[in-house]
Amino acid sequence: MNFLAPLFLLGALAIAGPVIFHLIRRTTREVTPFSSLMFLKATPPRVTRRSRLENLWLLLLRCLVIALLALGFSRPFLQKENALALPGASAGKRTVILVDTSASMQREDLAAQARAKAEAIVRAAKAEDEIALLAFDRAPRTLLNFEQWRKATPDARVAQAMQKMQTVVPGWSGTGLGTALLQAAEMLNSPSEGQSPALEIVIVSDMQEGSRFDGLQGYEWQRGITVRVEPVVAKKLANAAAQWIADSEEVETANEKSGPRIRVMNSAEAHGEQFALEWSAKNGAPAEKLDVYVPAGQVRVARPPLPEPGAERLALLGDEVSFDNALFILKPQPVQAPLLYVGNDANEDSTGAFYFLGRAFQKTPSLRVDVRATRGDAPVPAFQLQEAQMIVLGEMTGDAALPGIRQFVSDGKTVFAPLANAASAGTLARLLEAPAFTATEANVKDYGMLAQIDFQHPLFSAFADPRFSDFTKIHFWKHRRIETTALTGARVLASFDDKNPAIVEVPLGKGRVIILASTWRPADSQLALSSKFVPLLYAMLEQSSKLPPRKAQYFVGEEVPLPPGAQPFKVRKPDGVEIETAAGSSFADTDQPGIYGVTPGTLRFAVNLAPDESKLTPIGADRLGSLGVPLASMLKPLVPHSPEEAARAQAAELESRQKMWRWLIVAALAVLLIETLIAARVSHASPSHAAI
Amino acid sequence: MSNYLDPAALMAIRNLELRARSVVEGFWHGLHRSPYHGFSVEFTEYRPYAPGDDPRYLDWKLVGRTDRYYIKKFEDETNLRCHLLVDNSKSMTFGSRGFTKAAYANTFAATLAYFLSQQGDAVGLLTFDEAVREYLPARNRPGHLRQLMLALEKAPGGAATDLAAPLKRIAELVRKRGLVVLISDLLAPVETLETSLAMLTASGHEVLLFHLADPAEITFDFAAPARFLDLETGRDLFLEPAVARAEYTRQRDAHLAAVHAICERLGITHHRLITDQPLELALFDFLNARRARGKIVRRKAAA
Repeated sequence: MNFLAPLFLLGALAIAGPVIFHLIRRTTREVTPFSSLMFLKATPPRVTRRSRLENLWLLLLRCLVIALLALGFSRPFLQKENALALPGASAGKRTVILVDTSASMQREDLAAQARAKAEAIVRAAKAEDEIALLAFDRAPRTLLNFEQWRKATPDARVAQAMQKMQTVVPGWSGTGLGTALLQAAEMLNSPSEGQSPALEIVIVSDMQEGSRFDGLQGYEWQRGITVRVEPVVAKKLANAAAQWIADSEEVETANEKSGPRIRVMNSAEAHGEQFALEWSAKNGAPAEKLDVYVPAGQVRVARPPLPEPGAERLALLGDEVSFDNALFILKPQPVQAPLLYVGNDANEDSTGAFYFLGRAFQKTPSLRVDVRATRGDAPVPAFQLQEAQMIVLGEMTGDAALPGIRQFVSDGKTVFAPLANAASAGTLARLLEAPAFTATEANVKDYGMLAQIDFQHPLFSAFADPRFSDFTKIHFWKHRRIETTALTGARVLASFDDKNPAIVEVPLGKGRVIILASTWRPADSQLALSSKFVPLLYAMLEQSSKLPPRKAQYFVGEEVPLPPGAQPFKVRKPDGVEIETAAGSSFADTDQPGIYGVTPGTLRFAVNLAPDESKLTPIGADRLGSLGVPLASMLKPLVPHSPEEAARAQAAELESRQKMWRWLIVAALAVLLIETLIAARVSHASPSHAAI
Repeated sequence: MSNYLDPAALMAIRNLELRARSVVEGFWHGLHRSPYHGFSVEFTEYRPYAPGDDPRYLDWKLVGRTDRYYIKKFEDETNLRCHLLVDNSKSMTFGSRGFTKAAYANTFAATLAYFLSQQGDAVGLLTFDEAVREYLPARNRPGHLRQLMLALEKAPGGAATDLAAPLKRIAELVRKRGLVVLISDLLAPVETLETSLAMLTASGHEVLLFHLADPAEITFDFAAPARFLDLETGRDLFLEPAVARAEYTRQRDAHLAAVHAICERLGITHHRLITDQPLELALFDFLNARRARGKIVRRKAAA
């Protein structure tokens, strides 16, 4: 039997209380009034056992109550052998060190500081401790995991860890602290053999305001993990940064004369307010400057003049913290997506289909669609087929173009085939190699409308919203009745209100043919004039070309989708390194800001620093605490520091499991009850003898 | 015994006058069956009127009733003037039977007063502790009895028992000879008692002493050792009753004997009155003493 709070046993000395009271009772209580003491002399009280302690049972019970209480308060417990393994007592500590390598760590000597802090932690580790090293910027990467640490001999571990630390140099990425913390927690979560050790995550970072905390909110932290922040501190916190606002495309197109929109941001701690934006040409000649005045803590948007040809780097002058002062700006290159019209329509024939097609696709900064037409009964030139992203079939005079088109579809593209008359169904039947496919002119009373549209299909998904799903304004004066049974795999995307199929998708090879059982010529329908026409064509083109969306600028660490192609691309990084990347995949190695070039082809893209990385104001650890991160400063130290503390913690744990004090208190209450009953009986019995 | 009222039951009656009346009427009822009927406190007699008698003493009521002339010649002389001296000191507040000695003494005094005033005797009252508290001269007139009852109902207040001063005072106040009934527990030094009582007897009073005691005071039957608190002085003593009892009894007997001896010497009728005795018996004692006294007087006169 051991005691958690043995000092409380001194409380048992209070047993003296009842004994004394039982003795005192003889002298203090029971005053008997008497008429006169003239006949009485003081007699010394007889000192006998009986007279000293009456109601011996009561006394014993009262003593027992006090003894039980004292015993209960001293929190007794039974020491069992190996009853409990305490975290940290026998197993070593498991620590994950997270080292920030984001761009902001390039400042001053932050990287060296971080290295020193990590080294100190590694050197302080005991033989049974385990340490993993994680470097993180936008995403975490493991430098040294527990497995490697365990395999190395205790002497070699520090050297190994330090060697790994040497490879840690700040890159250009943003700070994804949340992701890194989650990965570290996952590393600790992986169960190790035997007892559960103390788990700790140490963040060595400048804890800048621009850190991202993705995924931290609501994360269920494993019990026992503590997070400690070892901040590295830079002397200068003032920072200004420039960012290229490349998102608003309309404005760019509206003012082609002026240069890009640059957001200049000045931190609240800044002293300087006067900055300048300067293009640096490739030959290094100084160019025109634009002065920008930004008070501390504010943001201004400036428009520097259009750069000289070849000048792609915009520098922010006047800021002392230099890592984020360069911007790489490329004039947006629109995606070329030519569209081929095979038919005999004249260019300016406003009754034909081609006339509307050419006007549907307007130039935008990101996408340029050239609508070309091939007329006459001749095969479509191969280069045109190669470039074209989609083919629209008009009225054709012969079948010479069909094999090329079929090949085009089979390669994965889309052919849009409006049926100008019942006869064009024959051409289509030959294209689809479905001879049974025919069409007849439908008998339309007044007009027909589209009904039963399949909004699940990509072609119509843009109209799925009830605000846009009203197709009843589009009247079809004439349309053809087609039989889809002859077409294998045909899917009706929309029907006319007389139940005839209106738009049918027929797969062919990797691509598809979309048949419209009417046309958008004014004689046939109002489709070309409706607001649905252009989105419908764009949806079709997008489905056909599968061209990746292209952004004007990317941030360091982002993946850049590359266009599809036959052979792999070579991506040339700003530092001259060329990396081979499969066509159609994404280029992920954007590890530095600059202009990247893709060969073959003329594709170039600009990569800049993440804007958040320029926010350098350090945040307190409580910000992490508010996200539910178990900070060491907020928790009581789980790991006892000395053997005595460990023993005490173990005793406390044992005691809290056994909880013997509860039974002792219950016993004390029971004894108290018995005492009360006996006392009641005694005092009930005594009045006759007490009243004398 | 069963014919008499249990003192405890009697004391439960709150009204003192009612208590006294219950005792006296019960006594009268009992008297009819008792062998002692036919005597009273004082014999009053009528004498036929003879010329020369003071017509003041004619009993005009009798004249009115019977047309005969009688003189209450001896009424005035033989009428008893009785003074009740009731001890109301703190020691009288002791009581082990549910009522105090004071209550008993007052009831007894009230009983006597009622009884005597029924007979037409004049009753006076003097209550005392260490000094005289209440004094009512002996009278027999309507309302006097009520006043007397009120005086008796006052709670005992004083501390010590000092017999000398009240006895001296009554000797000064009451010039006419009469009966003095002293009701007290006599818990006072015996030395002064004799001179004080002698003063009374010397001035011609007939003195009747009712020596009151609680049963517990006689037997001292306390069981548990305790602190004993003197009600008069406030002194307390730790006592083992079993040990102290013998000494107590001895001292008390000596005291009693001393008192008795004094009474013998002074010709005072000494009655011991235990508070668990019915009051009727005390009243009977009183009357018995009166008769005996008459005998003594008559015997002395005959001698």
